[in-house]
Amino acid sequence: MLKIDQLVSGYGTVQILNGANMKVDDQSIVALLGGNGTGKSTILKATSGLIRAWKGSIEFDGEQIHNLPPHEIVGRGLVQVTQGKDVFPAMSVIENLRLGGFILKTKKQLNDNLEKVFNYFPRLNERKDQLAATLSGGELQMLCIGRGLMSNPKMIMLDEPSAALAPQIVLDIFKNINRIRKDGLTVLIVEQNVRMALLLADYGYVIKDGVINVEGDSKKLMYDESVKESYLGGTKANVQ
Amino acid sequence: MFNKLRIGKKGENIIFSVFVLIYIAWCVNSPDMNIESLKSVLTIGLSVGIIYGLVALGISLIYTGLDVVNFSHGEFFMIGAFAGLTMFNVLGDQDWIFNVFPDAYGWIIYVVCLFTAFVSMGLFGVFIERVFLRPLTKKGGGYTVAGMGIIICGFGLSVVLINVAYLIWNPVAKPFPAELGLPMEIGGLFLPITYIWMIIVGLGVAAGLWFFLNKTKMGLGIRAVAFSKDVSNLVGINVPLYISIIFGIACAIAGIGGTLVGPTYQVVVFMGYIILMKAFAAAVVGGFGNLPGAILGGFTVGLFETASSFYISGSHKDLYAFLLMIVVLMIKPTGFFGTQVKMKA
Repeated sequence: MLKIDQLVSGYGTVQILNGANMKVDDQSIVALLGGNGTGKSTILKATSGLIRAWKGSIEFDGEQIHNLPPHEIVGRGLVQVTQGKDVFPAMSVIENLRLGGFILKTKKQLNDNLEKVFNYFPRLNERKDQLAATLSGGELQMLCIGRGLMSNPKMIMLDEPSAALAPQIVLDIFKNINRIRKDGLTVLIVEQNVRMALLLADYGYVIKDGVINVEGDSKKLMYDESVKESYLGGTKANVQ
Repeated sequence: MFNKLRIGKKGENIIFSVFVLIYIAWCVNSPDMNIESLKSVLTIGLSVGIIYGLVALGISLIYTGLDVVNFSHGEFFMIGAFAGLTMFNVLGDQDWIFNVFPDAYGWIIYVVCLFTAFVSMGLFGVFIERVFLRPLTKKGGGYTVAGMGIIICGFGLSVVLINVAYLIWNPVAKPFPAELGLPMEIGGLFLPITYIWMIIVGLGVAAGLWFFLNKTKMGLGIRAVAFSKDVSNLVGINVPLYISIIFGIACAIAGIGGTLVGPTYQVVVFMGYIILMKAFAAAVVGGFGNLPGAILGGFTVGLFETASSFYISGSHKDLYAFLLMIVVLMIKPTGFFGTQVKMKA
């Protein structure tokens, strides 16, 4: 579904990615792991078009997308879900969701998708007329994921859905991500919570210094020595 | 953008109320104070205020959308007035309008002029944004070095537009003799009917903008772009297009303001500058970047200015707006409507 080939990118003149390669298969959950400042979010931003790819290519659904503006990439069904703090705080929950379905043409599609999102996250239905600023951290994350689902995407990319949330809520959100995949979407998940992400995902990539360092089945990665050392709290401390 | 009233710190409000009371006491003590003069102060103050409010609305809209203060906004106001006047002169020669609508002749022409100013300034604004500001915003607007560039560019654009208008329409002040009926008598003064017309159309435009921003899909997109361009990109909004639309709407509203002022005052090449400054004061008083605040700030500045020149001294009329701005900045730096919805960290 998504194929990133020798991607080089960065901010301004600072190069972050030094030729990353990734592949995400249809209807799978792929985890992208790495420490702070290794380029996880940069890959997401380059894929969703917020920053340009300097070199290399990004292919989605058989089409090159690295030269498209962000709104056209969303139109092709690839949506990035940002961290929970990136909602529109002065708008109500339902307005936030309607914005997620901005590219939909008809009102019927919008209402169908709203129903779908409320089905995943009943909590949002209870709070639909509240200002988004009044939601709790977990509800904000649900709102962000819900907003991403509103545009009928084929694939969503989640940027640290577990950041700063209580374990119980993380579990709940991860269960819903699994449901979303079962309903036919492809998921790329960027995480710092490595254990949880690998439990959920089918395949994992570990990024270091802007290149993919280790990759493999998530079961295999769980027991990989280098991953263990770096992220799973092995005997050595984080050796970067 | 459209937020609830911020009840600021208690102290701020108390000090501000004390200032207001002192000011009202001062005005009441004035020898000119009577119910008749109060009526004319209200009419003139509100009608001038809505004009400041409309221009301030544009400044606030551009500020929220592009993260820069547009210092050439007064010139869009001025060119809007000229656009209306040009249309007025063209239609004035058409006898058939008079023959078909002998009663509502003046009104129809004036409404067409307003519409012309609205549409032409909207298109002109989009053109200016696309051709001159886009290369700068591409490199990052707001508080970056490029954002500073846009502000300087605004000053330059202002000079250029004044001089272009100077070449086209020459510097002589031109009357805008719209035939809207006899003057009305308010409080012993004979005021042109356009004063009332200004308030009605101005409030109508503000209400229309409110409806557009809050009830339509495009308005929802505009509010999203004004809040965050990155997140708007991610939900599939064509952000560059929407920035053009925001700039165009702001300029169109300024153009309407120019045509509204035209028949009451005169149309001059240099009318934009002082309006810009007053509108800036109105935006600051109302809370920068807040749209209802801009209209409210416009009314406040207009009323304060008119009342002061009636009751205190008429020879320093242009001073009062800035006096008010300084007082508000000292006591309530966020203006009447500040930002109150903040994200939890």
